[in-house]
Order: sequence, then structure tokens, then C-alpha cells
Amino acid sequence: MTSFMPLTTVFPGLIWAMAALALVQASRRAALWRVGSAAPVAWLHGLAQVPRRYLVDVHHVVARDSYASRMHAVVAGGLLAASLLTALAILPPLAGSRAYWLLVAIAFAVTAAGSILVGARRYPAKQKRLSAGRFQILPFLLLAYAIGGTLTALLLALGAGGIALPFTLGLAAAGGLGLAFEVRQGPMRHAVAGALHLAAHPRPGRFEGRPDTALQPLDLEAPRLGAEMPADFTWNRLLSYDACVSCGRCEIACPAFAAGQPLNPKRLIQDLVAGLNPAEPPYAGHPYPGGREGQGERGPLARLIGPDARIHPDTLWSCTTCRACVEECPMMIEHVDAVVSLRRYQTLERAALPEKAIGPVTELRQAGDPGGRPLAARTDFAAGLDLPLMADKAHVDVLLWLGEGAYDLRYGRTLRALVRLLRRANVDFAVLGAEERDTGDLARRLGDEATFQALARENIATLAKYRFTRIVTADPHALHALRNEYPAFGGHYAVMHHTALLLELIRAGKLAPQKLSDLSVTYHDPCYLARYNGETEAPRAVLDAIGLSRVEMARSGKRAMCCGGGGGAPVSDIPGERRIPDLRMAQAAETGAGIVAVACPSCTAMLEGVTDRKAEVRDVAELLLQAVEAGR
Amino acid sequence: MRIAVLLSAGRHPVSGVVVLPRLEAQAIRIATGLAQACGVRDGLEAPYGLHAGPDAAAIADALGQGLARIEHIALGEDADPVPALAIRLAATAPDLVLAGRRGQGGGESGILPYALAALLDRPLIPDVVSVAPGEEAGTLRLNQSLGRGALRRVVVRGPVVATVHPDAPPPLAYAFGQARRGAIEPLGTIDPAAADTPVPAVAREERPYRRRPKLVKGAPTGGSAAERLKAATGESGSAASGRLLVDPDPDEAAREILAYLRGIGVVAPARSPRG
Repeated sequence: MTSFMPLTTVFPGLIWAMAALALVQASRRAALWRVGSAAPVAWLHGLAQVPRRYLVDVHHVVARDSYASRMHAVVAGGLLAASLLTALAILPPLAGSRAYWLLVAIAFAVTAAGSILVGARRYPAKQKRLSAGRFQILPFLLLAYAIGGTLTALLLALGAGGIALPFTLGLAAAGGLGLAFEVRQGPMRHAVAGALHLAAHPRPGRFEGRPDTALQPLDLEAPRLGAEMPADFTWNRLLSYDACVSCGRCEIACPAFAAGQPLNPKRLIQDLVAGLNPAEPPYAGHPYPGGREGQGERGPLARLIGPDARIHPDTLWSCTTCRACVEECPMMIEHVDAVVSLRRYQTLERAALPEKAIGPVTELRQAGDPGGRPLAARTDFAAGLDLPLMADKAHVDVLLWLGEGAYDLRYGRTLRALVRLLRRANVDFAVLGAEERDTGDLARRLGDEATFQALARENIATLAKYRFTRIVTADPHALHALRNEYPAFGGHYAVMHHTALLLELIRAGKLAPQKLSDLSVTYHDPCYLARYNGETEAPRAVLDAIGLSRVEMARSGKRAMCCGGGGGAPVSDIPGERRIPDLRMAQAAETGAGIVAVACPSCTAMLEGVTDRKAEVRDVAELLLQAVEAGR
Repeated sequence: MRIAVLLSAGRHPVSGVVVLPRLEAQAIRIATGLAQACGVRDGLEAPYGLHAGPDAAAIADALGQGLARIEHIALGEDADPVPALAIRLAATAPDLVLAGRRGQGGGESGILPYALAALLDRPLIPDVVSVAPGEEAGTLRLNQSLGRGALRRVVVRGPVVATVHPDAPPPLAYAFGQARRGAIEPLGTIDPAAADTPVPAVAREERPYRRRPKLVKGAPTGGSAAERLKAATGESGSAASGRLLVDPDPDEAAREILAYLRGIGVVAPARSPRG
């Protein structure tokens, strides 16, 4: 071999061949992404941001599993360094340097060490959440490439050659070309698609410190509403699904999966990938609970949802839109957006809502309330309290948005406590009364964008009639809609959660709570406050101001588990083996706290509905009122 | 199989917004289900809506709930829709005309289907909860609600008018995309004279709704709640002791009456066993 071409050229040539093969495989894949619909992408800005997004945002997520983080640093860092260094050896001065080849050998040795870390997660026994399939050969490919590379570089560094060199080079070639081949539909796809996905992410705001969590408005004039088949997704969404590494962090976080409902976020993303490409290798992770296997046609124009298609409708309606999967995903995939796109098609084009959800959505459309209750009855909870109406006041500081919880007897108690606190602190506030319609949150999560947009426009028109400094609400779902989703329709408001306002009043000295130090409490973060809006501190600070002894649940803050009450899941009512609120109350019971503090009407309703609960469920406002009244 | 669904501009009972009445939405579900069932055998024709009134926008919701096409007859504000509907239905001759058993808002007397059936000279099957194609071609099998869950099956041949009972399956969801694709066909004024025929004057009085107490005959006033419930549902007490005799022999009927009177102590017990 050395006779007609020096090995110092063949070895870097291998790397160039790998790069070429990877490029071919990636472009074959990219041809599939192009079937997706158009999406505006700021390419230059995106590509420039990739290193920062990878090293900061992605790292934050990956580092939650410190083993995975170290493994990636060693194996990916080593792989890149060794490959780049070797590729540069086509330059004659480098190829001739023994010190240089020693450096290359060290880089390959680091890769080899990393490959063993990769293998240790899969052999002798695979970690449960990981997928098997083609991922199982990844450690061997990596090892072959790394060991082959190390030995070849070492031999070149030592100046030795002869009979061993072709074998070591052959080993490196087998591993290296194998890795490059896997870029199309194997484990290495995540590296290429992931990097591109970081550049072309559909929600760039996520990397700029904004909680970019609002659902994107749907053009109701579009020829097809929502996503029926893979080609209906924008191309960068299709790309994002290909970035999935099947690491299974989403399935561990998913409350519906934990409850045994037929949803597994990993499987859902993999079904979207498999739906796009009929040649996709079979899925090798945990199935949807209930064991249903994907079936039906595949391809860019194949129907995705249906009892006889890849994804069963029940899978779609099990999602609580809690974003736990999105929060956990190291590849920054937006699972909830995919679910809502698919739901939009089902609802707007096929009227295929779950039977039990039809009533609430119809009432929302016709009466402005999911229960079809008279809007004027929303303030019934305040019987005996003096509740000023916006219509009677020209200008207020705080517009109190009551939300759907006001109709609920249990949550009415919370709102009474809140109103009494506002009165005591002399806050200048008023409510809309009969003019307040539902924000349309439920309709939007269930895919009924038309009803949501109609309600949003009506509410924005109502709010435009009045002057107020800020909106305060005790309902994080209303807060999210008003704060993050109404701006797209022309409604820009300063919206606060009631816990943030209460904290402000305590800090301003307008509320003077006594210490209730004999109570122990654990705080349950509502998804729409913590994950959707990043607000986890104010409610805790209020609880601390009361002097309660506060213990945290294993899952808290932005990684808290859902109560099961969001995304229309309670009205869809897809059966599972367990109930999500039961699981959450069991987690609360593990802390031994006597009180579960809540700050959301849905959470209150779901958690109070748990039978045999060991702890009391109290809203932060109720606890604060108790502490303030203890001071009299 | 041609199916027409009569549509009216109803009002939401709580919000007062103009909506498609629930009963008519249920009628659409029955109609689409029947069309699907017939599609295989009799050749599919999509059910369509028919509305006579001043404004077609009021019934546009029906397009999102399963109808692809609605015929609209323009009428004056207070005109009687019956003659115009009858002329149109006589012309198109649908095999089945479905209507709500009463409107929702407005006059809502529930008389329209009867007046229409009389004008068209067709039978009217009231309070239908489901319709299926009959075993013989050209027949329909209708299930009628008799209240309290009791059903009666009726098999009819030939064109009929049927009204829908609230116990029918709930309406389909509203699909914005389908509504966008659906079409309202203005038919203009069918009979110029009819357009201004005023609705026959009926003495009407409006009163606020009041829930009326439900009277339970023969319910004991004392006892536990369970006992009162049993008495009311006929599991015990006087309601349970009745016996139904259909077309009995006069002798047997008399004996039965005497036995009952003795049973409740009105007539003294027989002194000696009868021979």
C-alpha cells in the first residue's frame, strides 16, 4: 500500500472520505425535510449562534445527567478534535511531523475513552429509558474508529509501519465510515440534524432568555388548517424531529406516560420521523403505554392520526401540554407544538374532538364559558364581598381577571381570600364582571384555534374600553394567554400572577403576615406559571414570609410534575392505568408536609380530587390570609 | 336516499347568542350517520339543510357540524315559513325531512313540523332518537323515544317527516374548516305571496322561566329518603302493587278489582273460600 501512496496521505484521506459520505447521507436526509412547508429562518444569525446555543442552552439540559454531560464532552470533543487534526494532515509539513501524530493519537485515545463511556450505558444492560436498535452498534463503531485511529497515529508517530498499519487503518476506516453512514437514519443523525436544528430553531426566543412558550397563531385562511401528514409541518419542524436522540428523558418526565395513558413523547417524535420516511428502521424504545404498535401507511403524504394510522387519536388527546418533555429535551425539540398542530387538524378540519370535549368547546364558542354558565354568575363567589366593577370605575391600578376558577366553589374560596387581601392592602382594583369571557385557553390547547381567536378578539375589545395599569390573575392559564398569546392579536398588557402581587404587597409593608411556623408546606408549581413563564420564586417567597417550614418535592420548580389539569386533558378524559393527580399527591406525601400549597385553579381542583390524600390543599392566598388574620 | 334537515335560527339559552339549536345539530348527526349507512346500498347523497328566514348567517354554523350545503329561502322578518318550506320540499321531494321537535328561542311552539307534514300530506314520526335504513329497500327504521328511556321501533316506507328528541346522540363538534368549505345557496323567495304571509296569530305571553316541582303521586311523606325513592320509582308501596291486564275477560277483571280492594282494606276479606 505504502508503495503507491504514503500512509500519511491515506489516513487523512479517510477522514475526508468520511466527511464526504456524511455529507451525501445528510443531503439524502435533507431532501426529506424539503417536503415540509416553508418557514422563515434567519440563517446567518442562527448559524452564528450555534456554538453559544450548544455550549450554554443545550449543556444546561444535558448536564442534568452529569454522566451524559461528561460522556459527550469526552467522546464528541475527542471525535471532533481527532478527526479535524487528522484531516489537516493532508498538509505535508504536518504529515511529516512525529509530534503531530502523537497529538492525534492522544485525541483518538480520548475518543476511545469516551466510546467506552458510551458503551457502558448500553452494555451489559441498557439503561431503561434509552432506545436500542441501531443505537446499540454505536459504541462498537466509535471504538473501532477510535482504537484504529489511535494505533495508526501511534505507529506513524513512532515511525514504525509495516504489516500492522493496514490493519489499524482498516479498523479506523470500518468504524469511521460506519459512523458517517449512520448520519442518514442511524444514531449519528442527531449530531447533524441537531446542529442544524439549533441554527434553524422555530422558537429562537428560547435561547435569548425569553420564555418563548406562546402557541404560534394559525392563519385561519390557510388552505389546510393544522397538520394532517408530515408534509404539513414546516421543514424546520421535520428537521427538529430528526434531531431526536431517543434518550428517553421526555418519557421519564411525561405525566401521561407515568399514568399509563397511551402517550410516550419519545415514541411520538419517532412516529413523526417514521411517518416522514418509510425506510426508517423500526422503533426500539418503550412503546405507548397500552402496547399499541404503529401501523398504516408511511410517507410524507400519509395520514398521521387515526385508529388505523401511525398515531392513535388517544395519544394526541392524552397530552396535558405541560411542556415537561420540552423542558427535558436536550435537543430542544418542541413536542407540544407538534401535538397542537396535529390537534388543530383534527378539530378544525375533521371535527374529531374527543366526545367529552365537544360540549365544553361548543359552549366556549356559543356562551364564552366552557360550562355554558352565565357570565354574570362569575362573581357569585363574592356574595357579601364588595367587588367593584370595571364599568363603574374609570381607571384602576389592578384589573383582577377572575378566570374560570371563579365558578368553582372550591376556587371561589381562594378568590375570596385574595379579594380580602387586596382590600386589606388598599389595592385599587376592579373586575370585569359579566364582561369577562373565557380567555379561550382550553379551546386553543384542544386545537380549536378559530374559537380561541374569536374569544381573544372579544376580550381585547373589552379591555380596550378600560384603563388599568396591570392585570392580576390567580389563574396561570389565563395569565399565559393574556401575557404571551394575546399580543399576537394586538393585546399588550402587563400581567401578574396573584402570588407576585402578594409578594409585592408584603415587601411594601402593606400586608403584615404573622408567622405560622407550626405548619409544614410543600409548594406544587403550576406548569403554566413555572415552565411557561419561569415564575417559581414569588410563591415560595410568600410562603417563606409566613414563616412556614417549606420542603421541596423531588420534582419542583421548572421541572415540577403536572397536576393533569391542563391542555384539555380533563375534558378529553383518555383512560390510563393511574391518574396523574394521584401520582402528584403521592409525590407530595413523600415530603411529609401537611399542606400542599397551590397557585392555580386547575391544580387545586385536580389535587383536591385525590381520594385518601394525606395533605391539605391550600392556595398561597388562603395561607397568606390566615397569616395576616392571625396578626389581628 | 335524500335527507333534508330543517334549520332555524335559535338562541343560546344562557348567552342569547344566535346559534344553531341543539336539537337541529342532533338532527344533522342523525342525517349524516344515515347517509353513511345508506351510502353503500342506495348511492350516497349528502344530507342538506333547508332554512326559511330573513338571514342565512344565523344558520351558517350548521355547515361546520356536518352539512355541506344549505338551501336558504329569503323571507320577511315576521313571515310564516311553512308555505315556502312546503313548496320547496314538494319540489325536491326528500325521502326524509328531519326537524327539531321544537325551536330554541323565538316562537318555539313546535307546531311547524306538523303543519308542514299536513301540507305535504306525509306522515310525521315524532321524537326520533335514531334512524337506520330498513331491511327492505326504501324503508326506514326509526327509534322513537317514549320518555324515561323507553323506545319504540317504527318501520316506515316512503317519504316521512320526523322530529328529533333530546335523547338522540349529542351533536357533532363544530369544525371551522368544514364550515369554511360549505355553501349556502340562496333560493330567493319561493312564493312571493308567502314571503309576507304573517305567522298565524297565537296568543303568547312571556314569563320568566321557573322550574316546577315534580309531583310524585302516592309518595309517602315520612320514612327515610331511600324509602321515599323506592316508593317513587315503584319498587315498593302502592305503586308496586299494580298489575296490568290488557283486554281481560270481564269476570277475571272483576275478580282482580275485588282482590285489589280487599288487599288495601276497602272491602272486607272473603269469609269463605270461593268454589
